[in-house]
Amino acid sequence: MTPLTHPSRRALLRSAGAGLTATALAACGDATTAGGRTAIRFFQNKPETVDYVARLVAQFNASQDRVTAVHDSSQTLLVPQFVRNQPPDLAAWNYTLEVSGYVSTGVLTDLADLPEASTVDPKYQALIDQFATFEGQTNVLPFSVAAAGVIYNRRLFEEHGVEVPRTWSALLQACETFRTAGVTPIYTTAQEVWTVQQGLFDYCTGSALDVAGFFRDLRALGTEAGPDAEVSFSAVFADPVAKMLQLAAYSNPDAASRAYADGNLAFGRGEAAMYLQGPWAFGEIAKTDPDLPLGSFPLPMTEDPAQAGVRVNLDLALWIPTASPHRGEARTMLQWLMRPDVIGRYNADNLAISPLRDAAPLTDPRLVDLQPALDAGRIYQGAQTYVPLTIPIGNYLQDALRTGDGAALLRRLDEDWARLAARSAA
Amino acid sequence: MATTSTGASRARADLGTARTRGERRRAPRRRVDRVSYLFLLPAVLLFTVFITLPALAGAVISLTNYVGFGDWRFVGLANYAVLFTDPNVLTSYGFTLGFSVVTVVLVNAVALVLALGLNARIKLKTALRGVFFLPMVVSGIVIAFVFNYLFSTSLPALATTLRLTGLQTSLLADPDLAWIAVVLVTAWQAVPSALIIYLAGLLAIPEDVYEAAALDGATAWRQFWAITLPLVAGYVVINTVLGFKNFLNAYDIIVGLTDGGPGTSTRSVAMTIFSGFTGGDYAYQMANAVVFFVLTVVISVLQLQIIRRRGVSL
Repeated sequence: MTPLTHPSRRALLRSAGAGLTATALAACGDATTAGGRTAIRFFQNKPETVDYVARLVAQFNASQDRVTAVHDSSQTLLVPQFVRNQPPDLAAWNYTLEVSGYVSTGVLTDLADLPEASTVDPKYQALIDQFATFEGQTNVLPFSVAAAGVIYNRRLFEEHGVEVPRTWSALLQACETFRTAGVTPIYTTAQEVWTVQQGLFDYCTGSALDVAGFFRDLRALGTEAGPDAEVSFSAVFADPVAKMLQLAAYSNPDAASRAYADGNLAFGRGEAAMYLQGPWAFGEIAKTDPDLPLGSFPLPMTEDPAQAGVRVNLDLALWIPTASPHRGEARTMLQWLMRPDVIGRYNADNLAISPLRDAAPLTDPRLVDLQPALDAGRIYQGAQTYVPLTIPIGNYLQDALRTGDGAALLRRLDEDWARLAARSAA
Repeated sequence: MATTSTGASRARADLGTARTRGERRRAPRRRVDRVSYLFLLPAVLLFTVFITLPALAGAVISLTNYVGFGDWRFVGLANYAVLFTDPNVLTSYGFTLGFSVVTVVLVNAVALVLALGLNARIKLKTALRGVFFLPMVVSGIVIAFVFNYLFSTSLPALATTLRLTGLQTSLLADPDLAWIAVVLVTAWQAVPSALIIYLAGLLAIPEDVYEAAALDGATAWRQFWAITLPLVAGYVVINTVLGFKNFLNAYDIIVGLTDGGPGTSTRSVAMTIFSGFTGGDYAYQMANAVVFFVLTVVISVLQLQIIRRRGVSL
C-alpha cells in the first residue's frame, strides 16, 4: 500500500512564494493592454463631478483606438504619488498653491507647444502664473474656472425692498435694513475655517486691493518681509480687514459654533439674506429648498461699483508630470479635453466658466449677475490661496472674528511669513 | 632532593587547590542558545526597517529643505533655529504637555474609582464591565465628530431650555474653555484601557488581606488608603507612563473636535507635524518631529527614574 503523497511543507512554501511573485509581477507590469492600446491613468477626484468626468472618459476612449484612459477618482493625496515618483499620467485637479509647488520644482511638463495652449484666454492663464512659474514654461492649462460672489436670497431682497448693493455704503445699508427687520443679514459659519477664509477674508480683500500684485511684491521682498515693511499684511490689508470685521458684525450671533452644513440648512430655510459662498453651495442649499430663488453679486468694498470683483479659482486645471512614461498619450487626451465643445459643455453643465477665448457667458440665473465683472476682467484669486498651509490663516481669522482685533491677525500673518521666508532662504 | 620534591609537590598542591577554588568560585556559564537570536530577528528587522530607518531618514531630511520631490539642498540647522522662535510651535508644545498632564490625572482617577466599583459585589457586574469598555471600541475620529455635535448644538440647546447661562454658547467656540472639551472627550475614550488594567490589579489582591483588615476594624476608606493603593501602585505607574505617551500624541480626537481651534488654542504637536505633509513644509516639520522625539524620550526616562527611586516593582 503506497502512502498518499502529499506535498512536503517546503514544496508548499515554494509554490506559494512563486504564486505571490507571479501575482506581484502581473500587477506592476507595464501599461499596455491587449489590442495595442496604451493605458494611461487620468486623475480627477472632485466629488461633485466624478460621474460627469467618468462619462467624458468613456467618450474619449470610444472616440479613438490608441489610448485607454483609466479614470482614477480615489481620494488619495498627490504629494505621496510624486514622492514615490509615480504620479498620474494626466491630472485634472484644483489648481492650488500645492500644485504650484509642483510647477516651481519643475516636475510638470511644458505644454506651451500645444496649439490648445493659445486658445486659452490670457486672463485665466495669468491665474496660473500668479502662484508660480518655472523657466517661462506653460506647465498647467486651465480647464474649468469657478466664479464666486455673495449668494443672496432674491425673495428676501424683494420682500424688504432691498436692491443688490453695488457700493460699500449700499451694502452696509442693506445689512441694517435686514437686521432691523429681524432677518440675519449674513450667515457666517466660523467653526469651519475654510468658509471664512474663502468667504469673508477673500471677498473683502479681493475687491479692495490688487491681490496678485501684493503677493508678487511680498515675495520679492524675501527675508526683508515683516510687520514693519512697506509691503506687508499689516500695511496693505489693514483697511480691508477692518471693513471685513465691520461686515462680520452683521452675522448670526452663533456663528462661532456653526459649520458649513448648518449654514446651508439655515440659508435654505430662508433665515438669512446673504451667504458668502460659491456655486458649490447651490446643490447643498437645494437639498433644503430646491425652489429658493438665488442670485450672486460681486462684493463691493468701495464706493466705486467698478471695483467690485469676482473671486475665481481654477477648479480644474490640466497638467502632465515629467515622470509619466506615456506623455504622448496623455497629451492626446489633454488635447481632446481642450476641444471647445468638450470644455464648453463641461463648464455649462457644471455651473463653471470655460477658460477659452470667446467662451459662452454664464446663463444660470444664480450666477448671471457676475458676468459683467467677468467680462471686464475684474477677477482675483482669493488672498488666502496665496498663503502656504503652514501658516494657519484660518485659525487666525477665527480669532480675529471673535475678538474683533484685525491688527493682531495681520501682524501674526506678517511674522509667520517672515519666518517662512527666513527658512526658505537659508 | 627531598626539599625540591617537597617544594614542587607543595607548589603543585597549591596550584591544584587554586584550580579547584577557582572552578568553584566561577559560576557555571550559561549557554545562550543561538535560536533565541533567531526568534528576535524578525521583530528587530521589522522595527528597524519600519521605524528606525524612517526616523533616521526624517532626521536627515530635517537638515534640508526637501518637500518630497524636486530639487532640494542642505540648510543645516536653519529649521531648528526657526523652530525655537516659532510661537505656533511653542504654544502647541505648551498645550500638549498641559493637556497630557491633566488628562492622565483625570483618566487614572476615574478609572480607579470605576474599577473599585466594578470589582465590588454588585449586580450585573459583567454587563456593566462591558458597557464601560465600549468607548475603547469606537474609532477616535467618530467619537470626536459625535461629541462635536453634542457640544456645538445639543448642549447649548439643552442649556437654553434649562436656562443655564454658562453653557448656552458652545464650549468649543471659546478658546479659553475648548481645552476642557478636548480633555473630557480624550479621557472618555482612554478610561476603558486604564480601567482594564486597574481591574486586573484589583483582582490580583488576595481577599484575605481585606478580611484581616476588617477583623482589625479598618474602615473602608482606611482599607483603600492602606491596602488597595499601595498594592495597585505598580499599575498606576503603568497607566501613567502609557497614558502620558499616548496623550502626547493626541491627534484624531482634536482634529474632529476643534481642528486646533478656536484660533490655535487646541493645536497639538502631532497636528502641527502632520500639517507639514500637505503644506509643503516637510523638512521643517521633520525638525519639529525630531525635537518632539527627544522630548518624549527625556520624559519617559524621567518617569522611569521616578519609578526606580520609589522602588515600585512593575
